[in-house]
Amino acid sequence: MSILYVLIPLALVLLALAVWALLWAIKNGQFDDLESHGWSVVLDDDQKPPPMEEDSSVTEKEEQAGQ
Amino acid sequence: MTENPRFCFHCGEPVPANCMLTIEAKDGLQPVCCSGCEAVANLILQSGQSRYYQFRTENAIKPTEEDGAIEDSWKRYDERSSLWGSPLKNGRYELLLQVEGIRCAACAWLIRSQLEARQGIDQVQVDVATGFVRINWQPDKLHLSRIAAILAGVGYRPHLPLAGAESMGRQTERRYALKRLGVAGLGMMQVMMFAAGLYAGDAMGIAEGPERFLQLISLIVTTPVLLYSGRVFYSSAWRSLSHRRVGMDVPVALAISIAFIMSCINFLTGNGHVYFDSVVMFIFFLSLGRYAELVIRHQNLQTGLALARLLPEWAELVRDEQTEKVPATDLRIADQVRVRAGQTFPADGLVTRGSTEVDEALLTGESRPIKKHIGDMVIAGSINRSQTIEFEVSKDPDDSTVSVMGRMLLKSQTHRSRYTRLSERYAGWFVAVVLVVAGLTALWWLTHDVTMLFPATLAVLVISCPCALSLATPAAIASSSRALLEQGVLLTRSEALEILGSIDTVVFDKTGTLTSGSPSIVNTVINPALEEYDEEAVLHIAALLEIDSSHPISKAFTDIQVERGAVRDIINHENGVEGRVDGTLYRLGNAAFTHVNVIDFTGGLGRLWLVDDNGWIARFDLDDGLRDSAVETMAALRERGLDLIILSGDHPQAVASVADRTGINSWHAEQSPRMKMDFLETLQNNGKTVLMVGDGINDAPVLSLANVSMTVSGASELANSTADFIITGKSLKYITYILETGDRTRAVIRQNLWWALAYNLLAVPFAAAGLIVPWMAALGMSLSSLLVVLNSGRLAKRKLDIEQTFSRRTVTQ
Repeated sequence: MSILYVLIPLALVLLALAVWALLWAIKNGQFDDLESHGWSVVLDDDQKPPPMEEDSSVTEKEEQAGQ
Repeated sequence: MTENPRFCFHCGEPVPANCMLTIEAKDGLQPVCCSGCEAVANLILQSGQSRYYQFRTENAIKPTEEDGAIEDSWKRYDERSSLWGSPLKNGRYELLLQVEGIRCAACAWLIRSQLEARQGIDQVQVDVATGFVRINWQPDKLHLSRIAAILAGVGYRPHLPLAGAESMGRQTERRYALKRLGVAGLGMMQVMMFAAGLYAGDAMGIAEGPERFLQLISLIVTTPVLLYSGRVFYSSAWRSLSHRRVGMDVPVALAISIAFIMSCINFLTGNGHVYFDSVVMFIFFLSLGRYAELVIRHQNLQTGLALARLLPEWAELVRDEQTEKVPATDLRIADQVRVRAGQTFPADGLVTRGSTEVDEALLTGESRPIKKHIGDMVIAGSINRSQTIEFEVSKDPDDSTVSVMGRMLLKSQTHRSRYTRLSERYAGWFVAVVLVVAGLTALWWLTHDVTMLFPATLAVLVISCPCALSLATPAAIASSSRALLEQGVLLTRSEALEILGSIDTVVFDKTGTLTSGSPSIVNTVINPALEEYDEEAVLHIAALLEIDSSHPISKAFTDIQVERGAVRDIINHENGVEGRVDGTLYRLGNAAFTHVNVIDFTGGLGRLWLVDDNGWIARFDLDDGLRDSAVETMAALRERGLDLIILSGDHPQAVASVADRTGINSWHAEQSPRMKMDFLETLQNNGKTVLMVGDGINDAPVLSLANVSMTVSGASELANSTADFIITGKSLKYITYILETGDRTRAVIRQNLWWALAYNLLAVPFAAAGLIVPWMAALGMSLSSLLVVLNSGRLAKRKLDIEQTFSRRTVTQ
């Protein structure tokens, strides 16, 4: 059973990693929206919204970038 | 009255009978209530995002005319880099916008798929609970005003990213709570795993080496959980102790400290059991409960910026005959500001050009528009009803009436008399008793058999662990709050359900609370000399004439179904309308407009006369219509032995009329918010416990001062943010329903507390006698908690139909 003395501290290291990952994720807002991402599977975005009228801001910028 | 009320496909509000707009949805033509909803719904459907309607769980907000012009007003912010958010790498910025109208996951999806498809927007996150949208974007590819326009285009109202501090604080609070919960959860999983080994060792035998190793590891994992996740209980316990009260968190803090310290001692001395698993499990479950409470609270408080929203974000500054749009917060004393019809005044000031009618209902409760001429005072937050005028700012935005009201509100919220919860009163005694019993047990065993000292004392502490006691109240309240929510009532402060039982006085606001806030016809009189008209016919003609009117009075007629084509040549005048129905020219308006030779009547909301060329045909008496079942509800409340009082800012005639119709004897008119607060304080000083029901901005400070407060449907966001119960249904019957739910909740809480007490009375003597081993104690504790939870669950299951609740009351009358 002496393998326990290796495996359990190893598990503790993993636990520390898990806690760190969780805190990192929360800090980065990964848990701020728990609902809508789950829906993205059902609601796939096969259609893009049509360009709005007077959507000039984008095209102007594109032209400028192209020049 | 229409037989089949139609509801708007987009916003879910009733469609006015005279509105014929429809949109082409998947399942055929659907009615919409206004062109704003029509535009938004069309855009959503054309983008192939009709699934939004399929999956949403809440209706959308109704778009306003201002939403259409949002891009223009945001344009001047495009170049202000301080508003782009916090800079990231590669010229990208992270923008945090408070957006109004985000109500469910489908909203979040809709916003994400609309925004993320645009060039220049990398990533969008939507926080449904707080109404925040976080956008990673590149200002050199896209303008800020464009983002605002896209959001407004699908029906969400973005607010300037200036005042985010308070809401940011809320987000931080939520994340911190989540971190504590996560750490406790991960720690619990580990410690439980080791505890399984230790329990198995107890049963089947375990070598001393591994046993002490597992205990050591449990100690190592438990310590950070206790220090990080458990800290909040210590600080809260300390706070209540420093106020000389024994709060709910005191036994919690004591239980986890004692269990932890005992376990440490047992581990160091090398004999006895360790209870690290109980410590982390207790912390985890309590954190879970607290987190759920926090999320609900935040969802209800989505109105964080309510006060700021009341004021327009933009003002039209007049300088050298030129107008310029500036942020309203930039206004200073002596600035000239132009306000167009339909707009909201951005600051307090004096009218310098033109005259108009102003709606101050939200601020003063006065239901009729007030005439303002040159030199008259206007207040920020009131709405300009008829003409474009200019005024001179007389107070800095920070000193305006609305801002002062906001500060008053904050003050009354902090002074809110704290209520000691039922369970807290019990808990104080309970903890004291448990500690005394534990001390006596220790003393007895010390003198008799030292080896039994720790196990027996610990068994007393574990078996009397205040789990059941601490669950007694929250479990019952959670169930009730779920049941209330299903009926359309939001509970925002959980103690409120307990306090409801001690209510003896109910104070009502008038405009918008007892009344619906819009005019309705209370009486129709037909000229006795004319035989060809009946009531239906004259109402029909009047509704036709008012079909296109935007005057508030026209709302009295929107319930009447008419066909648009039946009326021609409509001309809207200032005091009335004229038009041709079946070839006859009719005029509808006040006495002066219709040349009816009578002294005009000033009660209620006035009278309308319908005339043709030959003289008067009919007279409509208008008054502020009472809310659904107001009369029956008042009767039911009186039957409960409650004193009913009306406090209104309106003029005495209007208040008297409503008081008369609802049968309330005690009323006070022309009350300013300050006077209302004084009145309430006097009541409370006389030992009364007051329930306040209101809806307006002007009620907000009073609502937060009352012992319990409710807002009715259509209430202002500011009022909602201070209310304990937010009623979303139109009927006043909900008030009696909430009171009954309060009764049942308190009954269940009492049962729970008695059960917890009885269980302890039974088990503690056995534990003190050393007859109960700790694992039995732990099992007993869990079972007693389970029973409390199941008992509370009954509250959510036994749903009462509002109709039934009510008829039962009236029948017994």
